Amino acid sequence: MKKVSCFLAILTVGLLIGTAALAQEEYMPGVSRNELIIIENPDGRATDPDNFNIWAPGSPSWSRGLQQISMDTLWYIDPDEGIEGDPWLNSLAEEPPIYNEDYTEMTVKLRQGIYWSDGVEFTADDVIFTVETLRAHPEMNWGPQFEIYVDEVYKTDDYTVVFKLKEPNSRMHSTFTVRWSGCYIMPKHVFENAEDPVSFKFNPPISLGPYVSESYDPAGYWNLWKRRDDWERTTLGKLYGEPGPKYVLYVGLSQERRILDQMKHELDIIHDLSPEAAISLIEKNPYAITWFEQFPWAHPDPTLIAILLNNEKYPYNIPEVRWALTLSLDVTEIALASYNGAATLSSIAVPPTGNHLTWYFEPLQSWLKDFSINVGGEEFHPYDDTIPFQLAERAKNQFGYDVPTDEDKIKQSLGYGWWKYAPDVAAKLLESQGFTKDSSGRWLLPNGELWQIRIICEAEGRPIMTRGATKIAEQWKKFGIDAEIQGVSTAILWPNYLTPGNYDVAYAWNIETWGGHPDLSFFLRTWHSNFYRKSGDASAGSNYIRYQSEELDKIIENLLKIDFFDYEKTIALGQDFLKLMVEDMPEIPVMSYNVFTICDEYYWTGYPTSDNPYTNPVPNWANSKYMFPKLKPTGK
Amino acid sequence: MVKSLVGELVKRDTRFRTGFILMIIIVFMSILSFFSPVDPYSTYYAPVNRPPSLKYWLGTDSRGQDVFWMMTFALKNSIVFGLIAAAVSRLIALLFGTISGYIGGKTDSVLMIINDSFITLPVLLVIILIGMVFRRLSFFPLAIVMGLLGWPWDSRLFRSQILSLKERKLTYTARFSGMSTFSIIFKIYFPHLVPVFLSTFINNMIWSLGLEVTLSVLGLTNLQLPTIGTTIYWANQHQALILGVWWWLAAPIAGAIILFTALYLLSVSINEYVDPRIRYQQGSF
Amino acid sequence: MVSGKVVGYVIGRIFQCLVVIFISTTVVFIIPRMATDMSPIESAISRAMAQGQYTDPRAVEQLRNTLEVAYGLEGTVFDQYIKFWGNILRGDLGPSFSSFPTPVMDLIRNSLPWTVGLLLVTTVLSWVIGNILGGIVGCNRNKRWAKGLEVTINALRPIPYYIMALLLLIVFSYILPLFPSGGAYPIGTVPRRDWSFFADVLKHAFLPGLSLLLVGIGGWFQGMRTLVSHIMGEDYVVYAKLANLNKKDVFSNYIMRNAMLPQITGLALQLGMIFSGTLITEIVFNYPGLGLLSYNAILRSDYNLIMGVTILSIVAVSFGTLIIDLIYPLLDPRIAY
Repeated sequence: MKKVSCFLAILTVGLLIGTAALAQEEYMPGVSRNELIIIENPDGRATDPDNFNIWAPGSPSWSRGLQQISMDTLWYIDPDEGIEGDPWLNSLAEEPPIYNEDYTEMTVKLRQGIYWSDGVEFTADDVIFTVETLRAHPEMNWGPQFEIYVDEVYKTDDYTVVFKLKEPNSRMHSTFTVRWSGCYIMPKHVFENAEDPVSFKFNPPISLGPYVSESYDPAGYWNLWKRRDDWERTTLGKLYGEPGPKYVLYVGLSQERRILDQMKHELDIIHDLSPEAAISLIEKNPYAITWFEQFPWAHPDPTLIAILLNNEKYPYNIPEVRWALTLSLDVTEIALASYNGAATLSSIAVPPTGNHLTWYFEPLQSWLKDFSINVGGEEFHPYDDTIPFQLAERAKNQFGYDVPTDEDKIKQSLGYGWWKYAPDVAAKLLESQGFTKDSSGRWLLPNGELWQIRIICEAEGRPIMTRGATKIAEQWKKFGIDAEIQGVSTAILWPNYLTPGNYDVAYAWNIETWGGHPDLSFFLRTWHSNFYRKSGDASAGSNYIRYQSEELDKIIENLLKIDFFDYEKTIALGQDFLKLMVEDMPEIPVMSYNVFTICDEYYWTGYPTSDNPYTNPVPNWANSKYMFPKLKPTGK
Repeated sequence: MVKSLVGELVKRDTRFRTGFILMIIIVFMSILSFFSPVDPYSTYYAPVNRPPSLKYWLGTDSRGQDVFWMMTFALKNSIVFGLIAAAVSRLIALLFGTISGYIGGKTDSVLMIINDSFITLPVLLVIILIGMVFRRLSFFPLAIVMGLLGWPWDSRLFRSQILSLKERKLTYTARFSGMSTFSIIFKIYFPHLVPVFLSTFINNMIWSLGLEVTLSVLGLTNLQLPTIGTTIYWANQHQALILGVWWWLAAPIAGAIILFTALYLLSVSINEYVDPRIRYQQGSF
Repeated sequence: MVSGKVVGYVIGRIFQCLVVIFISTTVVFIIPRMATDMSPIESAISRAMAQGQYTDPRAVEQLRNTLEVAYGLEGTVFDQYIKFWGNILRGDLGPSFSSFPTPVMDLIRNSLPWTVGLLLVTTVLSWVIGNILGGIVGCNRNKRWAKGLEVTINALRPIPYYIMALLLLIVFSYILPLFPSGGAYPIGTVPRRDWSFFADVLKHAFLPGLSLLLVGIGGWFQGMRTLVSHIMGEDYVVYAKLANLNKKDVFSNYIMRNAMLPQITGLALQLGMIFSGTLITEIVFNYPGLGLLSYNAILRSDYNLIMGVTILSIVAVSFGTLIIDLIYPLLDPRIAY
């Protein structure tokens, strides 16, 4: 009995190994590798893979190609330079929106000659249908926007749509402008036959973009898209040429697998990696393409990582305390810990990416250098523009990286400067407010209690945030504050902590900008005191720090009155905002969120880089679609 | 009672002896943590990713920490964690099992229903849920929560022990000689329960530690506190395996293996020591 | 002839089972709602906002109200509780919040077959192999090879499952590219009913299955071994040995059959626990299943989905124990009602 079972066991194992060895490569029957580009979908596995209804309230998986190469909308703002040098891109619209005098009416001229993937022409009817359907179902994405603002929407001809607004809104077009995503246009001829647009699965999706859904994994791990034969009838194809890859596969993978797959050239674009994994991959793979060719490699996203302070809670409502917290930090250490030094620092409340450098960072340098705060009757200039150079040195020494030496390059990749590391000045500031130290050197609040800080940050989802926060806690501890981190899951950080203000100190981001446009009202709008919500109540926007001031309100109101396309005035107001933020320091800006997107040049070439920044390579952004016409096969 | 038990087992049972020795090693390492020259909370004080050498006995990790000293803390914290969780759950299990077994009748049925309700809960999911609700899964609360979830299996064990003890002569003798219920339970039953108590204590430690590792790997515990689980978490975060920093993973794994094996050997030998008939004559759980 | 006492017992046990299900379900119902700030509405809104698109603050506030109605979260917890039971008894698990409005049953149905398939096979296999090995080692307790086997298997037990899984992946998928590195079937294939697909599934399930197997064997092995080594000392076994009965016979009929009983109880319980899925397996091997589904449900405060998966697990475990309790006496002649 034993002998027989033994034999059977060996036989089974042998069979399995045999099947494994003899089996073919995993890939795609009918699709050859050199016409296929494989891209990582950072959302991972889609829980509801049959559902392509991007307007439905749930549908959490847009980045599997759906929003990137299948959907389309009126305008796109590129976080980098834009495929033709201008970050403002007219997509389904032929030109920018036309507003009337008091911003109660918006006219949109649509592009002609664009067709849905099933042959029906795209016209004003689709736009009107989208607005009216979403307005009627405000639980759907973008629905509430239309419900609040749109009084009437009608067409004056097949390619011109007029929006009559219930109140003045100079940024009405933002809803249709893609930064990461935006309100995509629904196909009227498909959805009008659906019983309920909320539960309609829209499977297979009818595309306005140049790719259609070829097949997908019922378990949710991958989606295969095929280039349309009539690609020249899409905005991308019409304006910029034929998309290079015939097939596109978006796939969700674990971290380890991503690296190993790209080493085998089975994954062309990795969305994001931890710094050392990225660096190790770059060193081992000669075909790896990164945004910056050398240190710091990663692409700075228009998202600003900052130490968020809840300005309602004591003692963070005191400006001196906030400045003390700032000056007790050595930011080079934080950068080294988070990104092995490959971080782009920012001292002001705007991300150091794309055109912001020319619009905001460069012009404010002299003001920053002159800026001083009053410490016990003396003037102290906290700005230090040598910090990025220090960072480059330290990164070179500690990790051995090949850092740039050119001053401009350093400024572009590592930032323009930061606040001095001055713990003694910080101590003076605290003492001026009544803080004292106990016998073991720990700071006590003026009422005698021990000052404790628990920094809320993301846990396993984003290693960079955990590491950064850990380092910050460590530094504050060294300074004498009892600080620790509290890592929480990505999915609950915003809804449970930031939005309702259930925190004192957090390490996350609340400032995200267009990237390709200087208008800060993108996020600032929600910081107006009209939308101020106390801690405990859910905030309606990104004002997690619960900051309000009259000056801020004025800036915001003025900003909304200016035309969106008046760059000069917009930038001027933006600079006023930044100066205000420096004076009050309601949150401590640290660095931009740098994404280690790595592209493999083995099968495809033409990826955007800092030398050729025609678009954002980060693959889950809808504007990554502009990569496709530029991608060419290498011939392998 | 415990001393003589230990003494006997060390003499008779090789497994117990091995387990005992391994345990001593672990405890020794943990005690070393009190003499550590480094602060477990600081990072980047040593050069990163250096392999084991004379200077850094177990090498350094990607966060610039000395792996050896981190392991001493990790082992200490892990042991303390396991002890707390196991202690809490033993107490509850003992209480439940004893009351249920001794009083019997309706109380027994009700208590057993509550017991079974806990058995049916999918533990990992519930712990994650609780962590979400109370916004923290830091060290002590987590250990206590594990204790609160780890008792139902063994309370049935205790219960059946009590049940069979109840039927034995010694109970009748004690009762007839006028001993109070409390005295019977404490003076007569509990000594009999000690071996089972010990073995389930150890089993429960293994279970809680395993769960702690799982939760830490998911990043749901206090990540700054070095434990076996959080060390693995950080090693993964920094892709240690792929980068070739194998010592960073080998240390906690080896530590875990030694710790678990030690606990395990101890538990097994104590188990055997217990009269097997009582153990599996419980019939239906 | 079924006596009244037996019927009474059976009904009692069934009732007990239902009460247990009721209590645990209530516990799982209440826990997420206890956190006032763990609202699924906030979660949904934050997901939309965190994706970095333009959101109008008034629109956000509006959405809050709309979603509350859509999710069925108006009223007090008690109201929701009553509604919940009403729906459950009609077989309606409600719509998922995170994938609104797809019904929870659909989402579960997508993931269920993989979890059940993988775990069913590995649980049963590890039970069988563990017990057989445990029995053999128990019988030959003092032989060197038995001790060696015992040490090996026990050495595997303490390895944290995550590491075991990861090591298997690296060794058998990258260093020795024998097995695929993840997924339940190759990328690009759509499930179909034929042998080649089945072979693909087996190939992909091998490593995750192996990892679960290795970890699972230990428990059964040890339990069986202990039981057997005690039985060895029993009179009837000693007698059988002295009487020189067929060794195989002694093994299976005298020893194993008696040792089997507690193990069967354990098996039923294990089988019930299949439905909680294995989160780590799914993460490491990119294997579809209930584990990740429920984990994400918790993270997104998707009450309905959480309830759906947990209820499945609770019911499975309860029924497992119930069935065992009812059948057990049939297996063990010593027990009388």
